[in-house]
Amino acid sequence: MKNILKLLALVVAIPFASTVMAQDRGEATMHLNYSYGLPLGSFKNDIVGNNSPRGASGDIMFSLNKKFSLGIASGYQDFYQKYPRGTYKLNDGSDISAVISNSVQTVPILAKGMYKPLGDKYSFVQPYVSLGAGMNLVDFRQYLGEFGNSTNSVSFQAQVGAGIEIPFGRLSKSGFQIGAAYNYIPYTKNGYNNLNSLAIEAGVHFPLR
Amino acid sequence: MKNIKRMRRIFSFLLLVTGTSAIIGGCRKDPLNNLTQDESRIYITNRDSTVNFTSYSTFSISDSVTVVDNGHGTRELTAVDQAYITGVKKYMEQAGYTLVNKNQSPDLGVNVTRIYQTSTGVISYPDYWNYYGGYYDPFYWGYGGYGYDYPYFAYSVYSITEGALSVDLLDLKNAPSHNDQIKIIWNGLIRGSGIFNESTADSQVKALFDQSTYLKK
Repeated sequence: MKNILKLLALVVAIPFASTVMAQDRGEATMHLNYSYGLPLGSFKNDIVGNNSPRGASGDIMFSLNKKFSLGIASGYQDFYQKYPRGTYKLNDGSDISAVISNSVQTVPILAKGMYKPLGDKYSFVQPYVSLGAGMNLVDFRQYLGEFGNSTNSVSFQAQVGAGIEIPFGRLSKSGFQIGAAYNYIPYTKNGYNNLNSLAIEAGVHFPLR
Repeated sequence: MKNIKRMRRIFSFLLLVTGTSAIIGGCRKDPLNNLTQDESRIYITNRDSTVNFTSYSTFSISDSVTVVDNGHGTRELTAVDQAYITGVKKYMEQAGYTLVNKNQSPDLGVNVTRIYQTSTGVISYPDYWNYYGGYYDPFYWGYGGYGYDYPYFAYSVYSITEGALSVDLLDLKNAPSHNDQIKIIWNGLIRGSGIFNESTADSQVKALFDQSTYLKK
């Protein structure tokens, strides 16, 4: 996690050291994405194995120069899986037969930095990388049959992303984007380990004037 | 001019946040809507781990069911009750125990109980009204595109009655040597939707015995 924070600090610090192009500084751009979530690791193995087609994300980025921007990002992803009936041993020695349903909703609120290596020149495809860090509001509901309990919590989240932007036209500041983001969310409640996931995102961006 | 620009950005961020909230409300897969009645049910069994169930040979079962409704007990025998009693007899016999009359000194006694518990609480109307347009499209009433104006009252009291079915195995054989106390050595509990159903009683009792493989002569 320390390395992720160092990288984030680097992304934040570099733009201040580079030449600032006054005409672009402070320009705001909004990105809105559809998000397809893929749980990873122990999240996938222990909680929800199914991918999630129910998600969205967005951010508002303020440019520091043509290559670097800083902003705030949020989103939503709903993970759900129903497991076939199984018999489980409880701590008190009793046995319970139940259909277990796990339902996890994640809402990140992140500070985000974005770097476009070709941002200072015209390119039909603008690659980008991004780093984010902040918190995630996690709502974890587990149901044994129809009997459920809900745990709301706030977890740390770090995010690393990459993708490409394609402007609508040569002079347009709006366009499409497609990319992926790896979400690192340590989650140690109820004996679990993390809620790490990969998000495949596609959407549009446009300047806020 | 700068202020207008700033206001627009704040407005955009608010749009992002409210948009996210709307998605949260609308795009969550509801686990309860995705359960059949059978899947909604849970079966819990408890045993006395010091007991060797092979040491018992005979059992007797009560000829009616006790209905415990908020702590008050009565005896009843509906078609559903009879189906449960028949089911318990069947699976006890399949486990190797012999059914005898209760005056023939059975080793085990079996009680079947229907349990009802009513709970009351307070419901928040705003939580309900906020999604009213999603439940009832105004278009149905010939007013497509209209919204709903919500009443002032905020809270109401609700009452829910939950049911459960319990099967208890009593150690009659060792009661005299156990300080004249009848020990409950096994309990099976069924909770969920549609448990008081004559046609599914057999499969529900089977589920209790299936997960209690130690329960055999």
